[in-house]
Amino acid sequence: MKKLLAMLLVGVMTLSLAACGGSTDADTATDDTSAEASTELNIYMWQQYISDDLIAAFEEENNCTVNLSYMSDNADAINKLTAGGGDEYDLIMTCDAYMESLIAGGYVEEINLDNVPNSANINDAYWVSKGYCVPYLMNYIYVVYDSETCPIEITGYNDLIDPALKGQISTIDGARNLFPMALVALGYDPNSTNEEEIAAAYEWLVKFNENVAAYGNAEQNLTNGTVSVAVTYDGNASWAMAEKDTIKIADFTDDAIQLGMDLYVIPTGAKHVDLAEKFLNYICDPEVMAKNLDEFPYSCPNDAAVAAASETYQNDPARQFDYKENVFFQEDVGDAITIYNDYYQKLKVGE
Amino acid sequence: MSTYTAPKKKNLLPKIAMAGPVSVWMILFVTIPMLYVIFISFMSRGVFGDVVYEFSTESYSTILDPTYFQVILKSLKAAGLTTVLCLLIGYPFAYIIARKPKDVAAKMITLLMIPFWTNSLMRLNSWLLLFQTSGPVNNFLVNTGIVDKPISFIYTDELVLIGLITNMLPFAVLPMYSTIEKLEKSMLEASADLGANPRTTFCRITLPITFPGIFSAIILTFIPSLGIYTVTDMLGGGKVLFIGNIIKNQFGSIRNWPLGAALSVLLIVVTMLLIFIYTRFAKIEDMEVV
Repeated sequence: MKKLLAMLLVGVMTLSLAACGGSTDADTATDDTSAEASTELNIYMWQQYISDDLIAAFEEENNCTVNLSYMSDNADAINKLTAGGGDEYDLIMTCDAYMESLIAGGYVEEINLDNVPNSANINDAYWVSKGYCVPYLMNYIYVVYDSETCPIEITGYNDLIDPALKGQISTIDGARNLFPMALVALGYDPNSTNEEEIAAAYEWLVKFNENVAAYGNAEQNLTNGTVSVAVTYDGNASWAMAEKDTIKIADFTDDAIQLGMDLYVIPTGAKHVDLAEKFLNYICDPEVMAKNLDEFPYSCPNDAAVAAASETYQNDPARQFDYKENVFFQEDVGDAITIYNDYYQKLKVGE
Repeated sequence: MSTYTAPKKKNLLPKIAMAGPVSVWMILFVTIPMLYVIFISFMSRGVFGDVVYEFSTESYSTILDPTYFQVILKSLKAAGLTTVLCLLIGYPFAYIIARKPKDVAAKMITLLMIPFWTNSLMRLNSWLLLFQTSGPVNNFLVNTGIVDKPISFIYTDELVLIGLITNMLPFAVLPMYSTIEKLEKSMLEASADLGANPRTTFCRITLPITFPGIFSAIILTFIPSLGIYTVTDMLGGGKVLFIGNIIKNQFGSIRNWPLGAALSVLLIVVTMLLIFIYTRFAKIEDMEVV
């Protein structure tokens, strides 16, 4: 009886251990099939950023399953990439500001662009680190306001720290989105690595923070009247302006606005590179991307797709912003990112 | 001698069989992760926000900064206030349910639980929709002339508190309900027969007997509200920060895992201290969790 019980116990424990290891077995199984043609593609990207129809069509065309997982912050993607993202994902979305360090750290695979012929449609002017990434959509960071309720006229970033706007601003979050605004307002390089300048930007942001009602949901807060000013991406600005016609893009006199690029990279060690390249080629197809732009009206580095896009997209006020010429890019600031993060932390904790 | 050893061996197996799986589970999913958190808290942060495996006490010297203590104090205050309000609302509610016939009580408990069938983020979003400037509550107030212009309810400390209370209330009501339900009616009758007025009966009979339920309610509401971050994130607009938000940010946007781990250790220590005080104050057997 004792023996029987002991054996039973050992049996149960072995079984539970085997159950723990189950997923590894499954992974190996997919490895074997990937030697021929992958049937599974795992993508990590922003939510609400790609058309479901487009994904479904790709799945049907290639007889595969696309698994989308979503990030809530650019930092999440960097976490995945630096922690062996290739084990889990075949494509990860990140932004231009991190590319140099990601390549230097060996966290991304080189992409064979011969397998992505449609990438020729992408305007080279917007293509950083060519060969290691494929640009997807671009985001201008606009200041938009409700002309009916906003108490002041906004012509530059410094207007955002006007005490008249107390509790009137809703903004996107993140150190590398907020600090460049402050640096431009103070007349510094938006990608400064000088601690004194970043400290001065922090002081500026403390004043800005007093005017902020909420971080996140900027365009909803603007359209539902909670705030009168929003700092948000161009696609979100488009939605807000379509919803309420009193919403305008602030007419900046001098200050440059930020242009960020969301791009796909293949993490080192990705298991389904063949399918990842097919997917990249697919989204660079002008017709496919043009349909995507109808649903997600962000700015797009794919010139052929913009030309093929609907009139609504092309005539969108968010697309016809004169100051589009006066832009700056987020650049990789290397080690200085820790200075930014420390001051951002200080800003958030509040003193 | 052999007659001595045999029963010992016999006794060991059932013990292993009973406690073994639980112990293995606890070691795998509680002890090891906790040790890992402590381990990470003594490591350094890399440029990428990755963990560099070099011994460092930097994270602990960072949290000595008074700012973090202020955040912890603020969180303790909010969690304390949530707990007190949950008890004040929950106790009468639990009392009423417990005194109802069984079928009515079951229905009332179900009503209490129904909101929890939806995802908590959905519930928080619905608070935002209800109370936003152009939401139904403000529309009603403005249209009926009660106020001239919409009131800013959302992204305030008050709404965060309401969110915390609605999230925690069932955890306060259920343990109190279970002790109040067991309260013998005859005791209350005896008290009345001996000349005690309802107030004396409540203070000297009902309250002491239902203390275990109240203690459980305190633990079950206070500890989760200390670490919760979704309520403050959503209803506070990312401006009202508690210790849970600061920890979450270290693993997210700020990417300083060692500091996040050190803050988690601090939170664990504070929580354990509170439980220690609690166990001194009340016998651990009194903890009655439904």
